[in-house]
This record gives sequence, C-alpha cells and structure tokens, in this order.
Amino acid sequence: MKLQLPFRHSRKSLPTAQRGIISLADWHKRRIRWSVQSLHAVTLIGLLIVGLGPILWLAKAAVTPTQDTLRQPMALWPNGFNLDLLVQTFTKVHIERFFMNTVWIAIGSWLCQITVATSAGYALSVLRPRGSRILYGMILGTMFVPSVVLLVPLYLTVLDLPLVNIKLVDTFWAVWLPAGASAFNVVIIKRFFDNLPREIFEAAQVDGAGPFRLFWSIVLPMSRPIVGVVSVFAVIATWKDYLWPKLVLPSLAVQPLSVRLPDLERGIQLDLFLASLAVATLFPIALFLMFQRMFLSGGALSGAIKG
Amino acid sequence: MSSRAEPVTAASGVHKRRGLLTWVSRDGLSTFAFLLPLLLIFGTFSWFPIVRSFVMSVQHTNLVSPPTWVGLDNFATVLSDPLFGKSVANTIYFALLALIIGYPIPLALAVIMSETRRFKGLYSALAYLPVVVPPVVAVLLWKVFYKGGPNGAFNSILGNVGLGPIQWLGDAAMAMPAVVVEATWAAFGGTVIIYLAALLSVPPELYDAAEVDGASILQKIRYVTLPHMRGILFITLILQLIATAQIFTEPFLLTEGGPANATTTVLLLIYQYGFGSSLGGHFGEAAALSLMLAAFLGVFTAVYFWLTRSWSTES
Amino acid sequence: MTVKPIRAKALTMAALAMFAVSACSSSSATTAPATTPTTAPNATPVASAAAADTHKATTITVGALRPGATQEAVDALNSQISQFTAKYPWITVTSVEYNWTAPTFAAQLAGGTLPTVFNIPFTDGKGLIAQHQIVNIDARVRALPYVTKFNPNVLVNGQDTDGKIFAVPYSAYGNALTYNRTLFTQAGLDPDKPPTTWDEVKADAKIIATKIPGVAGFATMATQNTGGWQITDMTYALGGRMEAVDAKTGKVSATVNNAQTKAALAYLHGLRWDDNSMGATFDYNWGTINADFAAGQIGMFTGGSDLYTAMVQNNALKPADYGVTIIPLATDPNAGVLGGGNLAAVSVLTTEDQRDAAVDWIDFYYIERLITQDGAVADAQALKANNQPVGVPSLPVFDKATYDQSQLWIKDYINVPTAQMAPFTSKIFSEPLFVEPLYNTQDLYATLDPVVQAVLTDKNADINALLDAANVKVQKIIDTPAS
Repeated sequence: MKLQLPFRHSRKSLPTAQRGIISLADWHKRRIRWSVQSLHAVTLIGLLIVGLGPILWLAKAAVTPTQDTLRQPMALWPNGFNLDLLVQTFTKVHIERFFMNTVWIAIGSWLCQITVATSAGYALSVLRPRGSRILYGMILGTMFVPSVVLLVPLYLTVLDLPLVNIKLVDTFWAVWLPAGASAFNVVIIKRFFDNLPREIFEAAQVDGAGPFRLFWSIVLPMSRPIVGVVSVFAVIATWKDYLWPKLVLPSLAVQPLSVRLPDLERGIQLDLFLASLAVATLFPIALFLMFQRMFLSGGALSGAIKG
Repeated sequence: MSSRAEPVTAASGVHKRRGLLTWVSRDGLSTFAFLLPLLLIFGTFSWFPIVRSFVMSVQHTNLVSPPTWVGLDNFATVLSDPLFGKSVANTIYFALLALIIGYPIPLALAVIMSETRRFKGLYSALAYLPVVVPPVVAVLLWKVFYKGGPNGAFNSILGNVGLGPIQWLGDAAMAMPAVVVEATWAAFGGTVIIYLAALLSVPPELYDAAEVDGASILQKIRYVTLPHMRGILFITLILQLIATAQIFTEPFLLTEGGPANATTTVLLLIYQYGFGSSLGGHFGEAAALSLMLAAFLGVFTAVYFWLTRSWSTES
Repeated sequence: MTVKPIRAKALTMAALAMFAVSACSSSSATTAPATTPTTAPNATPVASAAAADTHKATTITVGALRPGATQEAVDALNSQISQFTAKYPWITVTSVEYNWTAPTFAAQLAGGTLPTVFNIPFTDGKGLIAQHQIVNIDARVRALPYVTKFNPNVLVNGQDTDGKIFAVPYSAYGNALTYNRTLFTQAGLDPDKPPTTWDEVKADAKIIATKIPGVAGFATMATQNTGGWQITDMTYALGGRMEAVDAKTGKVSATVNNAQTKAALAYLHGLRWDDNSMGATFDYNWGTINADFAAGQIGMFTGGSDLYTAMVQNNALKPADYGVTIIPLATDPNAGVLGGGNLAAVSVLTTEDQRDAAVDWIDFYYIERLITQDGAVADAQALKANNQPVGVPSLPVFDKATYDQSQLWIKDYINVPTAQMAPFTSKIFSEPLFVEPLYNTQDLYATLDPVVQAVLTDKNADINALLDAANVKVQKIIDTPAS
C-alpha cells in the first residue's frame, strides 16, 4: 500500500507536473473558458454559502439575544448585539473546563494509540517472534468487527475491568485505553515498518544496539511521517467521538465538549447555548487554518485507507 | 498482506529475518515487552469484548443478578420487536438517501475543483470547513436551523421566496431526509478531498490520447476520468455504506429517533435496548442485535479489504 | 389515615397504603435484599447518634444541582452544605450536577456513577427497589422523629412491598397547566382568568397562535418518556387509567388504549391539525419545553406545578410571564389530577458510614425544610439570599397541617409571584389527586412517546391502531418478570 500517495503531490507542482481534464487547447477556446470559469464561480459561491455560511451564522448568533434569534434568525442584530454572551460561556457554562477535558482526552488517546501501534508494529514487523503471524491475523480480524458491536460489552468491561476489578468509568482511562485498541493503526504502522530497509537494522545490530535502542533511536525517528498520520487520525477521532465518552464519562469533571454541549441545549437559554457552540468551534477551526495542509492530506489519506 | 503484495521484499525479508530471529532469541523478554501493550490493550478492549458479546447475546443480564443462559431468546425477542423491522428499513432508507444526496455531489465538486487555476486552496478549505466543525456542534446547530415554525432559519429563507414553512424534523416524511442532509453537509468535504487526491493520479497521457481522438471535455470525464476512478469510487461507496449502517449521533441528537420512530436506526435501537430504560439495560438484546449488524457489515468489510488490496497493488 | 384533601380513590392505592401501614407495625423484617447493609434491621441509628464523637470521617456526593444551574443556585447549595457540615463536622459533602432523565439514568446506574444521594421520580421507586439498585434505609429513616407524619400515599412510592423504606419522598406536585401571562395579554386574553375546561384551552390556544405568529398556543412534551407522561396526565384528567389490576388475581393489565387516552390524542390532533395552534416543535422534552416557554414561544403547556424553580434557575424566565392553573378536569367521577414527585435515594455502592451520612443529608437537605421551622426558615433564607425562588407551589409530602404550617413559616421570604400561582394553589387541595401508574411506569411512558409524536407529526395517524399496538407492547413489558 502506498501510504505516501497524497503527500507526494504538493500543491505547487500541480500546474506543471500535472495536467487535468481540460487541455491548454480547450482553455484557449473562449466558449469553454467562459463556461468553465462561470462554473467555477458558481461553485465558489456555493461553497461559500454551504461551507462558510452556517459557521458565520453561528458566529452571528453567538452575540445575538435569544429573542432576535428566535424571531428573525436571518437578520443581522436587529436589536444590537450582546458580547457578554461570550463572557458567559466562560463564567456560566465554564466551557474552558470541558475544552481542557477534550484536550486531555485527545492527548491521552493519542499517547496510548502511538504506544500500542509503534511497539506492536515494531514487534510484529522487525522482531517477529514466533506466532506473530497469528497475532497479526487476530488484529486484522478485529477490523471486521464494527465498533458498534463492542458498545455494550466494552462498556461492561470498563465498568469492571476483568481480573483486576477496577472501574474505569468516569476516568479518562475509560476513553484512553480502548482508543489504543485500533487495529487500523497497528496495521499501517506495521506496513510502514515492513518497508524500512533491513540493512539499517542489521548495521545497528552489528554496532551492538539492542532492540530498545534500535526502536528508540532508529525505527521511531524514521517513522515520523507515519506517526504524524496516526496522530492526525487520533486527534480527529477524539473530536468526533460522542457516543462512547457519553457513556463512560457521565461526570461533569471529566466530560469533553461533545458530551457537554447536547446537555446544555436543555439546560440554558438559546443565546448562551449558541454562544457556547460557537466558542467550542473556534478552536478546531483555528487549528484547521493553521495546519490546513496536514488536515487536507490527512483527510485524503484517511479516505484512501480507512474511512 | 503486504508481504504477499510485494513478493520480492518478502523473500528478502525471510532471508534476513532468520538473522534477526537469532538475534532476538537472546532477547525474548524485550520482544515480549514490545508486545505487552498490544496484548494488554487488545486483549482487554478488543478481543475480550468481542468474545463477550457472543456470550452476552445468549444470556440475560442486568448487571445486578448473575447472568442466566437464555439460548437464542434474545435474538427471538429482537426479531419479533416491531421496531426491529422499522429500524432496519430506516437504516436502509438512510443509506439510500445518503447515496443519492451525498454520493454524486463530492465527485462533481472534486472534478470541478481539480480544474481550478486560482484559489485552489480556498476551494478545498471551504469544502473541508464543515468537516472541522465538531460533529456534535454541527448537529446541534442544524437542529436550530431546522426549527419548524415560520421563524426557523431555513423556513425564514424559504418564506422570503414564498415557500414553506416546512416541518423539517417534525414530519415523519421529512425527518430522515433532513438528517441525511445534515450528515452530508458534515461529511462531504472529506470525500471531496479524497477524490481530489484520486484525480491527481489519473495519468495525463490518457487525456492527451483522448484529445488526439477528438474527445470533448465531457467525453474525457466520461471515458477517462471516471473509469480511472472506478476503484476509489467503489471503495468510498463501501465505506459510506459501512458508515451509514452505524449512524448514530445525527439521528440521536437531531430527532432522538422520532418522530414516531421515523428515524430510529439500528444503532439507535441497540442503544435503546442497552441504555434506554431508566431501570437498567437489556444488554442481551443489545448484544444480539449488534451481532446481527456485525454479520451484515462483515460482508461489506470483506469486500472492502479485497478491493483495497487489489487497488493498492495496482497503484 | 387518608389525608382529607387527597381523595385516594384508586383501590390499589388504598390497598398499598394500608399494606404500608401494616408493614410499619410489624417489627420483623423478613426479606432483606442481598445488597442491603448487613446490620440487623432493628439496630437503630439512635445508637450511632449516641456515638457521635467517634464518627469516622465520611465523604458523600450529593446530586442537588441540575446541569447548567446558575451561579446563584450553586451558591445557595454551598451555603446549605456549610450549614450541614457545621452540624455534622465529620461529613464532607461534595456536590455534583445531576438531573434524572430516563435515558441517562440507566447508564449512570449501571456505571455506578450516581452520587451517594440522588433523586428519582416516584415512578422509578418500586422498580429500583425490586432490582435491589437502591439501598434499604428503613431503620435509619424510621429513627427520624417525623417518620409517622409522612403522607402514606406519598411515602408508598419509596417503599417495597413489605413497607420497608428505600427512598424518602421530599417533593410532590400535581400536574398543572402552565401558561404565559404576557402572551395571554398580548392575545387579548385575561391572564387572571385562565381556561378551566379543555374546550377553553383549545379556544385560547387558537387565539394565541393566530394573534401572535410563531408562538405555539398550546405545546406538549413528546420525547424522553415525557410524551407518555403528559398523555397519561391528560388521560387521568379525563377520567381514564393506563393500567388495571384485577382485584382477585392481582394481574396487571395494560389499558393504554382506553377511551380517554383516545380522546386526549384526538384532542391534540385537533389542536395540531385543525387549529394549527401547537406551533412547530414536536420533540419537546422536559428541559426544552421549559426553555421555549421561558423564551416566550409557548402559550400553554401541561407539566409539573413546580416548574417555576427550574425555569428561573436554568432558563432565565421572566417572573411576570409565569402563570399556572389547575389542569382542567372532566366531569367523569374518575377524573383527577395526576400527581408526581421525587424521592431521595442512596446508592448501593456505599459504605455503612456513608449510608448514615446520606440519611443525615436527606434529613437535613430534603426534609428539615418541610417539617421544622428552623429548617424551613434557614432554607428559605439561603434561597432568598441567592435570588432563588421561595414559595413555589407544591403538594404536601407530610400531612396538610404540616404543609400549611411550613408555608406560614416561610411567609416572609416568599419571592415568587404568588398571585400568579393562585389559580393553581387556590384549587388544587380540593381536587382529587392520583399517583402515576404503578407498574413499569417509565416503560409505559416510553411506549406512548411515539404515539404522541405520530399524532403531532402525521395528520393521518390512526390513533386506535397506534394505541392498540402500544397496549400490546406495554402488556408484554408488564408480563416480563423483573430480572
């Protein structure tokens, strides 16, 4: 599997290295150029309305009093705006707490996924102990089981961890640890390791590097790109997750934003609710604008091999 | 998998593995140390729950009294539940609508966007923006848009052109399309990006050759672009089917399965069995229904694996 | 035994209440569930009170705040917690947000994430007791001086079939018609003369919906079991019942397809489809209908008589908008007000010390304010100091005399618009009051939710067929033995 597929095509190289459906000759025909350009303009306007519109509306509603949003949802501040709502999302809703919980959940899940995937990938690809093929098969097998099947048994498992009888519910561990059991991560990291040149390992071995040294100083540094990909997936998945944290993190002290926001709908008035939604959206959008390329290539990759 | 896909590497791998093996044999403990996270995490949170779901599906358990063996009763209960058929029909309906609404749009967008000369980044950023909005926020926001009265956001736009008001979520016939439109909005950007990447892999020579034959732009799309993207199109199709069969957040937060169960999907029903009654769950029925869904999805997953395998060796 | 204003007509009720009384007098406890404390039933907490000096430090969590409560509500609770810990210095109290909703409670219950002390509606008391999911606190509660003064019809909700107390009732309400006085005025209606019959409700709803575009004249809840709850409410007001118990065999039959429920649904259908006076939201739950009412989107709706507190604490209700009146009752002799209320219960995942502390908290926080002058005054003071509502209409948990007395104690602190609540408070004590269906109540409500939704969202909904199907389903649930 060619993992680097979307990374290799940088934006700048496009016009020269790549040509599209429309040829230069086509482009010189006025009728075609005109219709293609107007199609592009329509698309751009459409994308602006559909992609940006709802978000702008949310930004507007975040500073609009309830009654205005209810009576004239499309009007721009018919009775002035209320910036205090944004302050209230902190003073009354304490959105920063839930945001921090989300961040903690993301960091922990990421760490757990990376630890499991790299150590397992290393063991299965480089160390290859006896039975590693069976083990790998068992990991691949879990990919055939949709996550929904595990909802109830996994829930019962975190209620009462087998053998040790520890209850993970209401602790971040209840999200962190199950996140680590991602067959997808193990598979792509193992495949990446499979393609690393064995000569380097042998050279290291000749130099007297033990398996830990080899892992830490050679394999990990070489696998930075794939670790980056897995990291992006891990963080995105944490943002998206709703059902599982809802089940296992019922206490306010540990709830991420995704669990808290729906509860707010019935707990506070509409203007403050929409302000909270807006503030909750700010951070991922800021991240996206900062790391646009990474998001877009990661998104492409996720579709190419995961979905 | 990859070793079979790339026989040359695999052969050399076997050759070198022996050397590594002897090297490791001195160090079995450290190998085990590297396997430990895998064994612990997968054992506890993947393999064990999978086995447990089979066990639970033939048990009656409420977490308080000891579980009792009930054979296939849970399956029978689920199959005789009028909501079972309804939820399956709803899920299929959802999947179909999602295909009709959500499948062609990203493809058309990607084809158009791939031909832009300016603001390429702007197009993709705009298309991807909804994907960045946390799904829960997106759903809750759309719930506000869908407010049913003449003063709902969508209805007030429709009202300006003399239409509506429409009961978006308050009408059994409208609710599912409304859910699908929201879900499509939230996801189409991701698919567009995938198609954009795939479009880049169409060899330019093919277009050159088509032009020599005098093909128009639409003909090039029809005879070059689309055939070349067949693989990825089929894969996204399968992935979309797998994803739609497990749809939860959207109907759960938008409609709670209503009105009158019009949007109760299979996953929502699983949730209702497990967590819907205030007096404790029917975990056995939930497990039974989950397994039935898994068996069904397993077919799709197998197709997906088979496809990605041949596709990845091709490219 | 039966308190005068509450005419308990239902046979089952009287039987159960008598059962409870007879159980009180018998001293032998025979069926202690496996999960109850291992102390002997007659080990009285008096002994533990005597040993107050030797109390071990104990921490309990209490779920006394709804999610999204205002800072004032938090402050009010905190001041009560410090009063409590001053009295019981060895107990540390941690407050957590908690709100009973049918779909979330199961996960919290299974997950063991409930607070030490939490509240449940009357409807879940018997089910949780039968499944051993709340603790037997009989001996502890019976040691409290006022235990004999509980209204038996209220106490029964927290008792097992032997009369053992597992949960303590602390609030009771009657379902009422809540209406927006400001909207009434805007529509040209007299807010001091709220409707007294269902026909008047219909007429007023139509006037409001017609005169004030975008506002629902009458709205009703429909999701998270509240649809079933409120259609039951209307059914009782028309004289119908959702369950029947065979006097001889004790067999419980579902009767949700009774004539009155059909009439109630047909009534809603008329408001929705003939008059178009129900607005545009048909998926309200308890929280969202409060929010929309407080936002001035709803003219009238039926719900608990005590909603004022929640709407002030969570939804920024303008007090002037609020009006509440008695639910219109049909002339049918069985017609009555559907009551309801809350029980304080103790989690099974607790130590003996925590259970002692939990009952101390229940005594202090939930009960003292109802029964002692000091408690009532201190509670009212704390609430008033933090701008929390004092004097919201409720129904007696103890006898009526105690209730009247407590209302006198807090007279000076009342900060709610009592005149706007008078249409309710002046009549409720002379109306027949009934408890909710006793068997699988929440499941019954859950089954009726989609029926209510269908009537509100599908003009061609076949009410008879829907109710017949629902009846079959409820009967099946009733017949399934509790696990």
